[in-house]
Amino acid sequence: MFRNLVAALLILAALVLQVGLVNRVSPRIAPDLVLLVVLSLAALRGAAVPGAVIGFCGGLAYDLLPPSDHALGQWALVMCVLGFLAGRAGGQLPLLVVMLCAVIAPGLAAGIGALLGDPGVTWSVLRTAWLWVGLCNLVFAPVVLWAVSALQPKRRARGSEFVTSYRRGTA
Amino acid sequence: MRDTRRARLVIGVLLAAALILITVDHRAANGTLLAPVRDVASSVFGSVEGATATVTRPITGFFKTISNAPGAERAITALRKENAQLKSDLDAQRLNRDRVMKLDRMLGLAGLGRYRIVPAQVVARRASPGFEDAVEIDIGTGDGVRTDMTVLSGEGLVGRVVHAGPSTSTVVLLTDPALAAGARMEGGNELGVVNGLGEAGGNDNLIKFRMLDSSSPVQVGRRIVSFGSQGSAPYVPGVPIGVIERVDTTPGELTRTAYARPFADFSSIDVVGVVTEAPKRDPRDSVLPPVPKPAVSRQAKAVERPGLLPAPRPVETRQAETRETDRTVEQPAAAAPGANARPLESEPPRSGHEPREETRLAPSPTPERAAPREPGQAGDQRRQDRGA
Repeated sequence: MFRNLVAALLILAALVLQVGLVNRVSPRIAPDLVLLVVLSLAALRGAAVPGAVIGFCGGLAYDLLPPSDHALGQWALVMCVLGFLAGRAGGQLPLLVVMLCAVIAPGLAAGIGALLGDPGVTWSVLRTAWLWVGLCNLVFAPVVLWAVSALQPKRRARGSEFVTSYRRGTA
Repeated sequence: MRDTRRARLVIGVLLAAALILITVDHRAANGTLLAPVRDVASSVFGSVEGATATVTRPITGFFKTISNAPGAERAITALRKENAQLKSDLDAQRLNRDRVMKLDRMLGLAGLGRYRIVPAQVVARRASPGFEDAVEIDIGTGDGVRTDMTVLSGEGLVGRVVHAGPSTSTVVLLTDPALAAGARMEGGNELGVVNGLGEAGGNDNLIKFRMLDSSSPVQVGRRIVSFGSQGSAPYVPGVPIGVIERVDTTPGELTRTAYARPFADFSSIDVVGVVTEAPKRDPRDSVLPPVPKPAVSRQAKAVERPGLLPAPRPVETRQAETRETDRTVEQPAAAAPGANARPLESEPPRSGHEPREETRLAPSPTPERAAPREPGQAGDQRRQDRGA
């Protein structure tokens, strides 16, 4: 329960940071924080179904995030599939899986956009944009994965609880 | 993997839900069916974004300062020079004030286009390269913003409102490939359509301008303004859009394509205005910024005049070729074809040729970086520029 709450908060923070800071600082080529956070959460969870659920919810929130001009559900579909993959394979090598999915994701999103007839998706645009966004995601993937795993609540041993109560007692 | 049947079921349901959402939202015109959902999301996220914008503004400013640092030194010297010149200009103007006041009163009728504007602050931006380029502004239906209103900045057209929430609204920028606006060439009736290029627009956020009449003359350095929609619904007339920077001459095509540099600065967009009331009369070209150098307008007229002459076409194409070649060839060689074109022009040779050099150089010091011949090549050239 607490784990899910933390995941939701992390995704919310990533959403707001993405449109409020990252895209405003560099509007053209920027890492996709939401994608990376969702993939990291799914990979660290290490199971397919929770990964897909995290991906779907995160993607839906990304679709609903206000400055949006695409069909609702595009990112939900992409992140659901990638969350499933990351959760399925992320148990052993989370970093490798997150990086792989982060590189695949822009192309997958563009493919769905092209299927829906998005006018901006041309092959030449895809070639440059996918390359640069993929590189950006690749660079930021270890950082985000580390941050997410550091913020993930751990089932602490009894000892730490004892120390806090001890401190509380002395204070 | 354990629990395979349940897993398959859950994933199947989730994928089906996503596909249904896509279908419903894509099918329904203007997203009427899912508008309440978007409304709720926009009010929830909008308030959070508004709050974070106040926090992140110093950070954004810091990054902007760092990225501007190399040019700052040059800018300071240029500004000092300009300041000195402005001071002397101001002294001269003090003498002319009485005369100016009379003239001003006389010209007041013709003044700038009377748009009624609600100012707004950009709180969030989303830019998926190539697919969408949109910003969120901090005013909504409560401030009189409705869907399909024109958005402009102090420099020119910015975009249009696609969704107006209760307290925030979404604006699609002019650089978004999905956006198309009617446009008109300055000082004429040549019409065309402006399209965003997205990622293909390069660092200068170029936009595409397609002339509906392929025989009409297009020159580099001419400005375009919005033509205005019926009932001024998405676009009000007369808003400055940009300066034409490159013309593509493809013989045999029905439309003629030019690339324009927008007046508005899309790399750092901050304060915008939503036009809540269109002007009663089309302001035509009156809202365009004053021509930076008098030579430019003289050149525009000078080139326009041969367009009225019986045999304008050779001059026209020759100029386009000149521009094509001198982008790659060095400066002195570029003067030679221009000299060939001189006898055809009715103007004295200097006014036809000399200012063109200025207009070509004035908008950008390196036109080859701005010209996206092919979006794929643009990326290569950008990399070369950075290396040089």
